[in-house]
Amino acid sequence: MAEITFFHYIHRDTVLHRMDGRLKLVCMLLISLSASFAPALHHYLLLFSLLLIALRTAKLPWTALFKELKFFGFIILLVISINAYTIPGDPISYLPLPGLSRQGVVTGLRFAGRLINILLVCVVVTGTTSIRTFGNVIEWFLRPVPFVPETRIATMVSLTFVLIPVLFDQFAEMMTAQKARCIELRKNPIKRLYFAVFPFLEQTLRRTDQIVEAMEARGYSELRTRAVFKSNKCDWLILALCLLVFLYVILS
Amino acid sequence: MPLIETQNLTHVFPDGTVAIENINLKIYAGEFVIIAGANGSGKTVLARHLNGLLQPTKGQVLIEGQPICKNIVNARKKVGLVFQDPDRQFVGQTVAEDVAFGPENLNLPPTQVETVVKASLEVVGLSPFSRQNPHVLSGGQKRKLAIAGILAMKPKIIIFDEPFTGLDYPGVVQVLQQILHLHAMGHTILLITHELEKVLAHADRLVIIYKGHLVEDGKPEAVVYRSERYGVRMPLRKGEEVKEMSWLK
Repeated sequence: MAEITFFHYIHRDTVLHRMDGRLKLVCMLLISLSASFAPALHHYLLLFSLLLIALRTAKLPWTALFKELKFFGFIILLVISINAYTIPGDPISYLPLPGLSRQGVVTGLRFAGRLINILLVCVVVTGTTSIRTFGNVIEWFLRPVPFVPETRIATMVSLTFVLIPVLFDQFAEMMTAQKARCIELRKNPIKRLYFAVFPFLEQTLRRTDQIVEAMEARGYSELRTRAVFKSNKCDWLILALCLLVFLYVILS
Repeated sequence: MPLIETQNLTHVFPDGTVAIENINLKIYAGEFVIIAGANGSGKTVLARHLNGLLQPTKGQVLIEGQPICKNIVNARKKVGLVFQDPDRQFVGQTVAEDVAFGPENLNLPPTQVETVVKASLEVVGLSPFSRQNPHVLSGGQKRKLAIAGILAMKPKIIIFDEPFTGLDYPGVVQVLQQILHLHAMGHTILLITHELEKVLAHADRLVIIYKGHLVEDGKPEAVVYRSERYGVRMPLRKGEEVKEMSWLK
């Protein structure tokens, strides 16, 4: 369980860990929007550098995190390939792959850049914010909205964040167990997918059921203790920096 | 008046399987009761009824004379259930957060939640680990955390569902000491197990469930000799007394 760090909260005593959850969520939105609408390569690099600094500041184990990015390697490659082959444009003469277009590759790389930056935003936020804080923040933002069951929504989001790392761990464990029984010898990718997806889905549903039962047993209620938030100058400075980056990316 | 009482408690699953049938059981304050039985005998189903997680097909569960269905929150507050696999019941990302889950559900003020969490972690000796991820604790520590999560709700009775499963010898000793400490503090203990040798020496009563029926209920030294006919290993060697069997020597 402890081996995987991706999307796990890792307790440290850093500025980002201590930051007011409400402001952190706003920063997350600003950086995610910047990553989604960034028009040029240097914007991606700027955001990427900023996120690396955030990872460093939060003292998150980035070597391990980047190694674990391989889980998303397949999706990133798929995004680049689909774009490269489906978007019409000039052929790339020096590559021995027929059907690729220069514009397609550029668009694919742009999408991949967005995806990596957004993933890193999620890593920084989940690594520095405990689920309880996250749930409390969502509840705080939704409280003024009429007819919205803010506690229920906050619980659902919190549970999703509880489940994501657990499911990653479970999937990795399941794949290791399958490797121990020589799954690599099966050449049919559909069969391999079948053995990966169905047990995983079943485990996911079972796990969800167990968490629900554990919550029920401890008297889960929507009338819960409310959190008290505090923010300091440093938190506002980080928010101002994120706002500046957002405005720079969007307006350029 | 018994703390918990089941009256003709019956549970039938939707596929028609009878999990437990006509269970009549009374647990009194301060008792240490072991519920034993082979796999699939209905022990866990019975435990889930006592905490209100399952609704009976027939019969009822009373807590301090009140039917459980009338106030389910009260039942969950008074009857704490420690699950067999603690890994699957953690909802917090740190030890302290997980313990806080119960008192927050009870809508206690934040300062009181903090006090209760600290006190519960202190009781089980996990205070130095309050900022740790629950999943990185050892097997024995995970069980202790599950206990702390229950203690924070200040229950009168604590049900342990197979608390020794998967633990090594030091882990079993740690958990057993914890359970005995809680009993000494005045908690009523109901422990579900098929490993009688680990705990029987400390119990006041032994109840055996067999194929969904309560078949034995009495003093451990009176009941234990008949345990094997119900699929539970008789833990005593020739000439050994029940009280000599403790793992805490």
